[in-house]
Amino acid sequence: MSDNANYVELRGINKHYGSFQASKDINIQIPKGRLVALLGPSGSGKTTILRMIAGLEHPDSGEILIDGKVVNNIPGSERGIGFVFQSYALFRYMTVYDNIAFGLRVKKTPENEIKERVAELLKLINCEGLEKRYPSQLSGGQRQRVAFARALAPNPQILLLDEPFAAIDAKVRLELRTWLREMITQIGITSIFVTHDQDEAIEVADDIIVTNQGRVEQAGTPQELYANPATPFVVQFIGNSIPVKNYDQFQYFARGGPDTVAILRPEFISIFKKGESVQFSRSAEEGVVEDIIFRGSNLEIRVRLHDNLISAIRSINDPFVEVGEVVDVFIYRLFVVDGDRVTMEYNQSLKRESVVI
Amino acid sequence: MELRKNSGPLKWVLIILVVIFLAVFLLLPLFYIVITALRDGIGGYIASITDPYAIKAALLTIRATIWAVVVNTIFGIAAAWCLTKFAFKGKKVISTFIDLPVTVSPIIAGLIYVLTFGRQSFLYPILDGWGIQIIFAVPGIVLATIFVTFPFISRELIPVLTAQGTDEEEAAALMGAGTFTIFRKVTLPHIKWALLYGIVLCTARAMGEFGAVSVLSGHLRGKTNTLPLYIELLYQGYDFTGAFAASSILVILAIIVLALRVWLERRGNKEAEIHY
Repeated sequence: MSDNANYVELRGINKHYGSFQASKDINIQIPKGRLVALLGPSGSGKTTILRMIAGLEHPDSGEILIDGKVVNNIPGSERGIGFVFQSYALFRYMTVYDNIAFGLRVKKTPENEIKERVAELLKLINCEGLEKRYPSQLSGGQRQRVAFARALAPNPQILLLDEPFAAIDAKVRLELRTWLREMITQIGITSIFVTHDQDEAIEVADDIIVTNQGRVEQAGTPQELYANPATPFVVQFIGNSIPVKNYDQFQYFARGGPDTVAILRPEFISIFKKGESVQFSRSAEEGVVEDIIFRGSNLEIRVRLHDNLISAIRSINDPFVEVGEVVDVFIYRLFVVDGDRVTMEYNQSLKRESVVI
Repeated sequence: MELRKNSGPLKWVLIILVVIFLAVFLLLPLFYIVITALRDGIGGYIASITDPYAIKAALLTIRATIWAVVVNTIFGIAAAWCLTKFAFKGKKVISTFIDLPVTVSPIIAGLIYVLTFGRQSFLYPILDGWGIQIIFAVPGIVLATIFVTFPFISRELIPVLTAQGTDEEEAAALMGAGTFTIFRKVTLPHIKWALLYGIVLCTARAMGEFGAVSVLSGHLRGKTNTLPLYIELLYQGYDFTGAFAASSILVILAIIVLALRVWLERRGNKEAEIHY
C-alpha cells in the first residue's frame, strides 16, 4: 500500500474562496522522509495547500492522498499530522507542560507515559526546566520550539509548519533554521513548511515547490530550481535577479525575439579592475562602478554597463574598486525569457575559446 | 508628556469640574436617599424594608434577574461564539440586531411583547389553551428583563474572542479534541473574566429595569411588582420613606455590583499580564 515516492500526494486540487481561486489544478508528490518547502509570494496559495493537507480547509475538487489513501473525508485529527502554526497558537492558559501533553491527554494516554514523553521532548528542544512557564513567559525561539514539541508529541507521520520563522527576529531565525533542519533530519519525519523567503527555503528544504497565483510553478531540489528554472516566475523569484531588456548590447550575446528579456544574476558576472584578469581581458566590456554595498562577508558592486545597472559580487579579499572607476565586466551566461520559455545562454566567447583549445 | 507637564491649571479646572458634576448628579441624590429613608428613624426604615410587599418585590426582582442572567449567559456565549469563530452570510445583520435593545426604548420593548402575546395576538388563544399567561404575569416580566439585557454578555465576549482568533481552537481540534473539550480547556479560560464582567453588567441592568417591565407587569402588588415598580408605587402614594428605603436596597445591590466589577477588572488585568 505504502508508496514511499508519493507519501503525500495532491491530485488536481482546486479551491475557491468566493470568487477568488486560491488553488488551480494543484498536483504535488512528496516522498516519505523529505523536508519540503512550499515557496511563493503572499497570496500565492501556499498556505491553502498546507491547510488542505491538514484538513483545516477542504478542496472544491481533486484528491488528497496520504500513504496511498484518499483522506478528503478523514478529519485532520485522524490524518497523523502535527501542525505548527505561524503564530504558534500555543494554549495561552496552559503551561508548557500542559501544552505539550494536550494531544496525548486527548488520546487518553496514561499520565506516566505522558510524563515520560514530555520530558523526552523538552530535552529534545532544549527547554528542560521550563515546563511550569506559560507561553507568554518564553522567548520567541522557545515558543517556536515548544510549538514544535507539541506538534510532535503524539508521534505524527507528517509535520506541517506554516511560516515557522516569520515571527522571530533575524538573528534567532538563522539559528532556528539550522536547528529545525537538524531536528527534522534526526527524527526523519516527512515535513512540509510554508515560507515566502527563498533563502529560508533553499537553506532548509530538501525539495522546494514554488507556487504563484494559485499554481505550482515548479518543484525540485534547490539546485535544480537554481540551475534550471522552468518558468519566467521561477527565474525572477529564485536568486537575486536583474531583468535586462536590451541584452544584445552586451558583446557575445545574440538577441532572440523582440519580446525576449534576459535575467542576470550577480553570480553570472565577474568584475575586474583594469589589468586584473588576463584571461578575460579581450572579451570583457567596460563598465563604470556606480555603487558599492558592503554585505558583511562580501561586496555587492553595482556597475553601469551600456544602459543597464547590473550587480556583481566581489570578495573582500579582492583588490578594492571605487565608485566611478572604470572596470572590466564579464558576463558568463544569462537566462533568456521568451514568453513562457526560459533558456540559458552562454557568452559566445567562451565557446570560441573552448573550440580553440 | 508636554501637555501634562505644562497644564497645571487645566488639570485642576477639570478635576474640580468632574468632582462638582459627580457631587450634584450622584452623591447628592444618594445622600438624599439615605436621609429620606432614615427620616422616620431606624425602626421606620427596617419596617419599610421588611414590609411583606417589599420583600416580595425584592424576591421577584432577584428571580427575574437570575432568569435573565442564566438565559443571556447561554445566549451570549452562543452568539459571541458563532459570530467570531465562523464565517457565514448575514453575520453583520445578526451582530446589528443583537445591539437593538441598547438603542430601542424599553417602553417600546414592553409594548412589542404586549402586542406579541396579548389578547389581540394570534398566539394568545394557543398560549391560553395551554394555560400559559405571559402578559401581566411573571413570565412577561422575565421576558422583558431578558430583552433589555441580552446584548450585555455577548458584547463583552465578542472583542475578546475576536482578539484571540481561531488558531488555538484549530490546534486543539487537529490534536483530536472534541468541541466541548476545546470550549472548556481553550476558549473558556480565555473568556472567563469577560464573561463574569458581562454577567455583572447584565445583573445590574436587570435589577434596575423599569420601563419594559412596567408595561408588562400590570402592577399587581405582591404578585407582579418588581422592586423598581414597587418603589414607584410607594412614591406615587406619597410614602417617601418607604420609597427611599426600598430604593436603598437597590443602591446597596448596585454598590455590591460595582465592587464586584472593580474586583473582576483587576483580576482580569492581572491574569492578562501573565498570559499575553
